[in-house]
Order: sequence, then C-alpha cells, then structure tokens
Amino acid sequence: LRKSILLCFLLQKRFYSLKVAPKVSSSGTAAKVKLSPESQNPEITKLPNGLVIASLENFSPASRIGVFIKAGSRYETSSNLGTAHLLRLASNLTTKGVSSFRITRGIEAVGGSLSVHATREKMAYSVECLRDYVDTVMEYLLNVTTAPEFRPWEVADLQPQLKVDKAIALQNPQVGVLENLHAAAYKNALANPLYCPDYRVGKITPEQLHHFVQNNFTSSGMALVGIGIKHSTLKQVAEQFLNIRSGGGVPGAKAVYRGGEIRKQTGDSLVHAAVVAEGAVLGSKEANAFSVLQYVLGAGPLVKRGSNVTSKLTQGAAKATSQPFDVSAFNVNYSDSGLFGVYIISQAPSAGEVIKAALNQVKAVAQGGVTDADVTTAKNQLKANYLMSVETSKGLLNEIGSESLFSGTHTSPSAAAQKIDSVSTADVVNAAKKFVSGKKSMAASGDLGNTPFLDEL
Amino acid sequence: AGGGGLLEKIRKWYYNLAGFNKLGLMRDDTLHEDDDVKEALKRLPEHLYNERVFRIKRALDLSLKHQILPKDQWVKYEEDRPYLEPYLKEVIRERQEREAWNKK
Repeated sequence: LRKSILLCFLLQKRFYSLKVAPKVSSSGTAAKVKLSPESQNPEITKLPNGLVIASLENFSPASRIGVFIKAGSRYETSSNLGTAHLLRLASNLTTKGVSSFRITRGIEAVGGSLSVHATREKMAYSVECLRDYVDTVMEYLLNVTTAPEFRPWEVADLQPQLKVDKAIALQNPQVGVLENLHAAAYKNALANPLYCPDYRVGKITPEQLHHFVQNNFTSSGMALVGIGIKHSTLKQVAEQFLNIRSGGGVPGAKAVYRGGEIRKQTGDSLVHAAVVAEGAVLGSKEANAFSVLQYVLGAGPLVKRGSNVTSKLTQGAAKATSQPFDVSAFNVNYSDSGLFGVYIISQAPSAGEVIKAALNQVKAVAQGGVTDADVTTAKNQLKANYLMSVETSKGLLNEIGSESLFSGTHTSPSAAAQKIDSVSTADVVNAAKKFVSGKKSMAASGDLGNTPFLDEL
Repeated sequence: AGGGGLLEKIRKWYYNLAGFNKLGLMRDDTLHEDDDVKEALKRLPEHLYNERVFRIKRALDLSLKHQILPKDQWVKYEEDRPYLEPYLKEVIRERQEREAWNKK
C-alpha cells in the first residue's frame, strides 16, 4: 500500500513541467500564473480528528514541510522536567520504520535537513529538501513524529548532549535571565524551564519520553504544514499516516501568574535584568496593542550597530547614565497568558538608575505621554518587522504552522497589517497602564550590588 | 509432526552432550565475545546482564574446583532462553545496513 502511494506521488510530479510553465502569448487575455504568496493564500483543511493541514503552493524548487505539535516544556510536570528538552534532541533516534543511521544518511543523501524547534508551547519538526525528494524526507519526518522507539541505550547515549546543549545556550546571559523570569512569574506550566535542570540530566527514562509523546502528540494538537507542496499530497499523507493517536490527550495546566523575583549573583560586570507584568494572550486584540506599545517604547535597534536614539526607553535611560547600556521593551504571548515589560542590559554600578529610568518612560506613556505620530511610527515598524519575518520560507512556515496549530486559520499579511492599524492610541495607553498597575516579576543576573529589588521599584 | 519431534530430540541430546548446562550456563553465556556480541551486551537490560555475570562467575568457580553442579541444578534444555539473540540480531542488522550504505 505504501509503495502505491509513493508511486502516486511520483506520477503527480511528472506533470509539473506542464503546469508551471506560464503561457506566454501576445493577447491580453492570456492566463497568468500568479506566483507571489500574497495572492496565493495557504489552503487550510481541518480533518475530523482535529488535525489541521495547511499548504502553500508557491512553485519553489525547494519544499519545506513541518509538523507542529502542541507540546513543549509547559506540559511537563515536576516529576518529568527536562523531557521536552531531551525530546528536542532525540529527533534522530531510531524509529519503528527506520534506524537512526538511516535517518541521518538518508536525509544527507538527498541534501535535505531535519530540524526541531521548540518553544514552551509548541514543538515544530521541519524538513526541507528539493521538491523531487519530498517523499523520502516525508517518510523520515512521519516516522520521527509518530513512531519513535526511544531505545534505552540510544537515550542513555544522548543524555550528555543535554549538558552540552544547555551550556551552549547559557553562554548567552539573556537565556538564563528569561528562564528565571518565567520561573519567577508563573507558578506552573510556563514556569518550567526550556532547558533540562541539572539534577535531571541522566535520569530521564525512555518510559517518560514515551509517556510524554503519548499524551501530547495527539491528532487534535497537531498541524501538518507545507510550503512548496500540493495540498492534496499533504492531505493524503495526513489521512494515511498521522491518524494514529486521536483524542485530545492530557490537557495542560492553565498557567497561573504569580509575580516574583529571582536574582542570580554572578561576577559579571554587565547586569541583565527583566521587569515584566502580565501581558496579553496570543491572538487577542490586546496582544496587538502590546505589540505596538513594544515598538513605541523601542524594541531593539533598527540600524545595525546604531545607537538606537529614537527609542523612548533609550532616550530616558541616556539621561540617567553615561555608561553604555541597552534597553528594550520585552513582549511575549502564550496561548493563555503573556508577559510584557522591559529588558535592560547595563553596567553594574548604574543598573539601578537605568531600570528606574526605563520604568519611568513606560509610566509616562501610561499617563498619556505618547503622540499619534509615535504610534504610527511604531505601527509601521511592527508591520515591517512582521512582514520581513515571513519573507523567508523558514519564517513563513513557522508563522503558518503556529497559527494553524493554535487557531486553525490563517491571517493573510494584509489582514494582519489591518489589525495592527486598527490599534488606537488609547489602546496603547491602556496597555501601558496595565503594565504599570500589574503585579511585577523580575529576573536579574550579574553583579547585583546596585540592582534594586522589586519592592524598591 | 514426527519429523519435528525427532529433530527436537536430537537437539536436546546434543545440548546435554555439550555439557555447559552442568556448569549452570545458558547457551548465550557461551558465545564468543566478538564486536557484535560486545555491542549487544551493552544493550542488555540490567537484570539480564546481572544474571549473566552471576552465571559466568559461578561456572568459573566450579571449573576452578573441577566440580559440576548437582543434577537437580543443571540448566534444562526447555528452560534455556536465547536472551541475547534479539539484541544480537539487531546489532548485526545495523552493521549490515551501515556496510550496505558505505558500499554505495
């Protein structure tokens, strides 16, 4: 049966050269092939078992297919922390259909790549390859997501990799601060770290991995997304192979915001600190307001290696200190909560002044100190950033996948731009007010001698 | 059925003739440890590995003293399980797959 399906794929591919070649004729009524993704919106189907299939046929020579799953560190419990991290690293282990060796060599042989990208709420397994080899890599992708075996010796050999992965990630102080921030801000679910805690390295068992996969990799929490592939192909594949685990699985716990602070005293001369309050839920109208507020305050330099003078936060902090610093607004949305605040990097002696100056700037916006021109500039910056992020096929796949997974629909770029435009200055001020009045959480690392505590802010 | 029964009888006779069951060993304990077997041993679950080590230690002790176990403790043909065989088969299959790929 599988061989006949593969044969069907091959037959379908034979006719591409006839379909894609646009008819060039001098008459004005010639049919034009629309090639831009703008006019070619993704097709989305939702199967009865809950699986969402989305595909965008943009006739590119390389295809990119992803399986997005509602699984991540938030679905761990205190007894199996770190399972999602190991799962991330375990994508090339032996499966029921193919061995680990064959996955690696097979994907190499066709020049493709398999990668896993995981956030606290979702995991995305994606493969990319030339169009002709899609069936081969599709087979590996399906094996990895639906039928992993987690052989005890392979899992045991993989555990040291957890340490290496974590060490590489923590070289960047921001990662550590953000992990602490989530641990401080939430009581459960979203508080779970993205990287395996040290005491769990070497203790994660294949049974825990299997359990995690059984509970979370269910059809109703998955989306199969493809770019550069026909919708009917994806649909066939999904109906045939992704039907194994139906049901909703174990629902994750609702994230409860608590607001706390975690300080990590190191000897670093640079202090990294984040001060946040609860923000907006993914996809809500508030989320757009918070995003615009983020750009009003300043969300990172727009000119590479520039001095970011236009951002409000930078202007405020520049008055407080002459030492080098970097301040930007921090905004993240999850399916049932969000965080909004400021992220500060400053020299240790001036940390207190910079943090206070940044928070004063947000207070100023909350008190109405923002003009319509500021808001329009911010909207343009936000729109530009969003549109540029979906320019690459990787960004586009991620965007289509995340949206299909969480809402089962797709917002075209023009609709997204409209939503951003519909945010009014009052919305932005309200968002700032919500931050100022909300219970704060804080995470800081570095030489914290001059870094104030939350109750001193 | 008659032919199958005869084959079984011959196998049982040969098993008892070989004599390692008198030292309390199972067939898979006596395999020569080449690379494949070594790799398969690494993959044994802990309880099976510990039992193997115990049996081998006991057999070494007996052969040192030039003794064998009392007859009621000999390993019976029916009880002898090829515990290493699935792991060994998998190791050999993987090695052959690697060699096939490398030849291409």
